[in-house]
Amino acid sequence: MSATNEMAPPDARTTVAARAVGLSKVYGEGDAAVRALDGVSVDFERARYTAIMGPSGSGKSTLLHCMAGLDTPTSGQVFIGDVDLTMLSEKALTLLRRRSIGFVFQAYNLVPTLTAAENITLPLDIAGEKPDRAWFDQVVDTVGIRDRLSHRPAELSGGQQQRVAGARALVSRPEIVFADEPTGNLDSRSGNEILGFLRSAVNEHGQTIVMVTHDASAASFADRIVFLGDGRVVDEMLEPTTRRILDRLKSLEG
Amino acid sequence: MFRAAIRSLLARKVRLILTGFAVVLGVGFMAGTFVLTDTMTRAFNDLVDTGYAPIDVLVRSSNAFTAQTSSLEERDPMPQSVLQDVEAVPGVAKANGDVIGYAQIVDPKTGKAIGTFGPPTAASAWYQGNGFRLKPGGSPPRGPDQTVIDAATAKTHDIAVGDRVEILFEGPPREFEVVGLAGFGEGDSLFGATWAMFDLRTAQDVLGKQGKLDTISVVAEPGVSAVELQRSISEVLPKGVQAVTQATVVSEAQDQISTGLGFLRTAFLVFAFVSLFVGAFIIFNTFAIILAQRTRELALFRALGASGRQVMTSVLVEAFVIGVVSSAIGVLAGIGIAILLKGALNATGFEIPASGTVILARTIVVSLVVGTLVTMIAAFVPARRAARVAPIEALREAQDRPGRSLRFRIIAGFVVLALGIAPLLYGLFGTPSNGLQLVGLGVALTFVGVAMLTPLIARPVAATIGLPVRLTGMPGKLGRENSMRNPRRTAATASALMIGLGLVVFVAVFGASAKASTTAVLERTLKADFILISPTLTGFSTSAAEDARAVPGVDTVSQVRQAEAKIEGGTAFVTGLEPGTFPVVSEVDAVQGGLEDLANPNSIAVFDDTAAENDWTVGDSIPVEFPATGSTRLRVVALYSENGLIGDYAVSLDTYDVNVANVLDTFVLIKADKGADVAAVQADLEKALSAYPNIEVDDQAGFRDRYATLISQVLNLISALLLFAVIIALFGVMNTLYLSIYERTRELGLLRAVGLTRRQTRSMVRWEAVIISVMGALFGVVIGIAFGWALQQALEPEGFSELGIPGGQLTIYVLLAAILGVLFAVFPARRAAKLNVLQAISYE
Repeated sequence: MSATNEMAPPDARTTVAARAVGLSKVYGEGDAAVRALDGVSVDFERARYTAIMGPSGSGKSTLLHCMAGLDTPTSGQVFIGDVDLTMLSEKALTLLRRRSIGFVFQAYNLVPTLTAAENITLPLDIAGEKPDRAWFDQVVDTVGIRDRLSHRPAELSGGQQQRVAGARALVSRPEIVFADEPTGNLDSRSGNEILGFLRSAVNEHGQTIVMVTHDASAASFADRIVFLGDGRVVDEMLEPTTRRILDRLKSLEG
Repeated sequence: MFRAAIRSLLARKVRLILTGFAVVLGVGFMAGTFVLTDTMTRAFNDLVDTGYAPIDVLVRSSNAFTAQTSSLEERDPMPQSVLQDVEAVPGVAKANGDVIGYAQIVDPKTGKAIGTFGPPTAASAWYQGNGFRLKPGGSPPRGPDQTVIDAATAKTHDIAVGDRVEILFEGPPREFEVVGLAGFGEGDSLFGATWAMFDLRTAQDVLGKQGKLDTISVVAEPGVSAVELQRSISEVLPKGVQAVTQATVVSEAQDQISTGLGFLRTAFLVFAFVSLFVGAFIIFNTFAIILAQRTRELALFRALGASGRQVMTSVLVEAFVIGVVSSAIGVLAGIGIAILLKGALNATGFEIPASGTVILARTIVVSLVVGTLVTMIAAFVPARRAARVAPIEALREAQDRPGRSLRFRIIAGFVVLALGIAPLLYGLFGTPSNGLQLVGLGVALTFVGVAMLTPLIARPVAATIGLPVRLTGMPGKLGRENSMRNPRRTAATASALMIGLGLVVFVAVFGASAKASTTAVLERTLKADFILISPTLTGFSTSAAEDARAVPGVDTVSQVRQAEAKIEGGTAFVTGLEPGTFPVVSEVDAVQGGLEDLANPNSIAVFDDTAAENDWTVGDSIPVEFPATGSTRLRVVALYSENGLIGDYAVSLDTYDVNVANVLDTFVLIKADKGADVAAVQADLEKALSAYPNIEVDDQAGFRDRYATLISQVLNLISALLLFAVIIALFGVMNTLYLSIYERTRELGLLRAVGLTRRQTRSMVRWEAVIISVMGALFGVVIGIAFGWALQQALEPEGFSELGIPGGQLTIYVLLAAILGVLFAVFPARRAAKLNVLQAISYE
């Protein structure tokens, strides 16, 4: 069951960017209680692109939210690097999100009052830090929105908005980027652009990415897929292809 | 649709409460005013009823009219012999002669004269049936050394039976033993007046009315009606003396009460109206925001077949419910406000007798109707806008839809502005009879017009105000951006504050102009080294001037008196002065003739602008009507320019004293010998006048400061009443922030997710509040100065020569607005910070 055995690293500190240990999340109480996560333990290796898949209600979004410090687990631990999130105060969690975590959501990713450039540097600006100019330029060029930097979100297409969100997630060089259905609202071409861009961030800059998706072709961009079902890790797959993923999903559902 | 409206009301409780609050406060103010004035009217009427109950007929000198400003009735006394004639009339059981006049009791503990602002400080004779009732432990006053004083004054100033008190009169002061305390009717005092009573002989003595009487109170024998008795008494009275029934006296007194309270009621209702006006802006804005947020829901209704009319009706139903409920709460709040105001009035010495709170049906009906109507009218424009929502909107993204064209708004805004400025200017500079109402209407429409136009400049203004804010960090920058993102909303919220603060600023500018103008004219005209004055401006004994003349180093002493008269049908103030000495102590620029000609009997000098208005010139004879002596004709001997001390009309002291019953000096102007040690003379004057604790010796600067302080006091009171409107506007800021936060839930969630701390989130909301508040304050300052300037221009002929702009004060107002904005943003900021990040970012 432990996903770590498969490629046990000699030193977890350097190769595991984030991990969950015995993670459970229960919503509600008594008869109405819903066990969204049921003792999940999983490692996310550094400089790898991991996708989390599973049917609706399998707990994949809850896992992502708990990993990202947006939700508090009922029991178990979450580590980003070697920091245990469950031990942190609300304020410390906020600071950690700001410094160590990047986000790409399905929608509502940008602050409408800020320009694209301002949205990209938002986490740094909130922290009162100056962006690394060279890195900023590199990220902007990689996502290909240089000519849109001074535009506001309302003036950008959905794909452009999502690329800006991606640039924002990367610009502070976070420990780990969490993406929650980043292509859910996009047509396939725009979606593929985003996925390709995330892929290249892993390949070229050693970025760690964890992405929740229900789309097999999106998941095929990942190095590894963790399958969830009923709040548990039920399977995983390395070097996935769309076909293999679809087969696996079919067998899991069947 | 009706059910949907109610549902939508209940679904958003905070917004409901806040919107309603604007109405509650405004209606509360209005209902409170009604309740307070009704309660006071009832209490005072009861007091008059019981006070006059013992008598049947009152004999008194007739008067031409009753002066509104003098605290004691202006009537000439009659000879004492009338009393015997009245006593001899068949049917008279008892007749009591009385005199009444100015008297001020000196607090034995502090040595200061006990003054009032408004109610009389009086003395009269003690007799059974004068309305006062002796409290247990006292005895009626007998002989030249005894007095009975009103129980309220005794209580406030800790005076007990057996104490000795000094009392000031028109003549020299005297000392008495307090032998009793008396209440009037059921109360401790007569409308908060201070009252000292003596036996008739002593009263006549101290009031300078030896052998004379002001009134005779007559009690009829059993079986004789008041009307009969009044008729038979009238037959024996000399010319100029009249007999009136108790019923007449009571109704006269009650008329006066209702006139006085009517004025108070109108004044308070004006402020209540201002509050409601500001409230209407908030209701308008709230509905506009809510309906914009609900566009998709409304469009869905439309898509499902609801007509535009049905959508509009549902919004108006919502407004109706809010209006009725809030107005009802407002009425309850008003009763509370009335009790508070009553306490405040009592604290300022304007005693209101204890009585039940009076709540008339009119109070409830008018408050409910006005409150509900205001709410519905304010909701009308948003409702009509909602009715135009197209079904297709249901399919569009809810947020940040492009703004509608501003062209219609610009045109409409300028039209309304013009419709406001026109009556405003006509009311100010023309001389229509209903000028005040025109100005009021003009001001209201001007505010609406400006408010319609402010969205045009709201974005750049917010950007500019936010420039320094931006430098404080990301929360400041985000707050600034938020204040700029929806100019209509920001502008409407700021406009509510603009109205409240605009009026406050207007009052401040008016006050500063009044002060500057007074100071300027006094600096030019005042030549006296010292001015004797009573702090309450009630006037003081004419014997003080005699004492001042005896002080070494004093060169000239000039007495000045002021009384009300009617000239050309209007109320006017006539100044009595000494033509010989006045020019020594004050510069009078005679445009025509000379002030010294006032020494001729039956002559008058007139302010040149007033003369020009009436087309008078030197040599004309003009009709002047004094309350006590009636009509007389006075010949114009001089026209003078603005002086600052004498108003529109001046006569000699001789002419004055002939026509005025209660003679007190308002000012005494004193010039020291050339080369005298001014400080020493002032000290000597203070020593010589120590018997008159109601007199203060001002030097020139002190006198000017006193005027400035008086002006400030009045204006501070007005500003305090306007504060109500400002507070309502601040609730509007709070409301807008709440609604905006609700609308920006997802965005807030995103910001929190990417690392905005709770503290930063609160800070962001507060900065937005600061920018909106400062914008409202700045708009208010601009429009307030504009109004102040217009009024100053209009009043320039009346001596408003200077426009005063109190920069420091205005700066404080703007800073205060910023601080209050932060204060009122506390709850919305907390709400934003508490936001559940997960819920905010999850999508359905």
